[in-house]
Amino acid sequence: MTTIRIPTPLRPYSGGNSTVTVSGDTVGEALDHLTQQHPQLRNHLFDGEELRSFVNIYLNKEDVRGLQGAQTALKSDDTLMIIPSIAGGM
Amino acid sequence: MLILPHPIHAQIAAHGAASYPYEGCGLLLGSAEDGRNIVVAAVPLPNVWPVESEKPERFRIAEDDWRDVELEAMSNGLDVIGIFHSHPDHPAVASPRDLAWASWPGYSYLITQIIGGEPADGRSWQLMPDRSGFVEEPVEVVEDNQ
Repeated sequence: MTTIRIPTPLRPYSGGNSTVTVSGDTVGEALDHLTQQHPQLRNHLFDGEELRSFVNIYLNKEDVRGLQGAQTALKSDDTLMIIPSIAGGM
Repeated sequence: MLILPHPIHAQIAAHGAASYPYEGCGLLLGSAEDGRNIVVAAVPLPNVWPVESEKPERFRIAEDDWRDVELEAMSNGLDVIGIFHSHPDHPAVASPRDLAWASWPGYSYLITQIIGGEPADGRSWQLMPDRSGFVEEPVEVVEDNQ
């Protein structure tokens, strides 16, 4: 099982939970299981079938884009973090 | 509503002034309770906007920095509840660029105006649920954590 840490503003859509335990052999499957359990999260994480442009997934402190993305294999006791990209200006 | 202890308010203003003429930025830590974001700490972070000459009007927070702050916050029982940044010589109003590069509704976006290197107005904003714009939220500066 994989633990996914839920960002503070998304917790109203995860039943108030700061972490959710999911199954899945890959990052993509784990995210699918997360949004199956908590469908309201999907719109906040995905734009269609793709992750929103500002959404980054970290596996045990490493951005999965530098691994195999959604195909990155998971081991038991892995932890995923959902980290937003933030920028702005005048 | 954003609840902001006075010492942290002063810390954020000082960071904006020290970053002048560039934009300064960082994260707000604390807790989200009943629609209120209650700040317990602020963590200034590097402005990693990639073009140096554009830093007076742009900021970016590195995802790895966010990750590290979030892990540290978690170990202290805190959450990331908002983002702060400064607007050098520009009003503390959320801009179209702030909107274009925003993340999820629920975070507080605290903006501090810096005029000629001195802190001025500080205002906080929340992304609307449909992501169509920002609405200002009240800021209550308190003497200490309540």
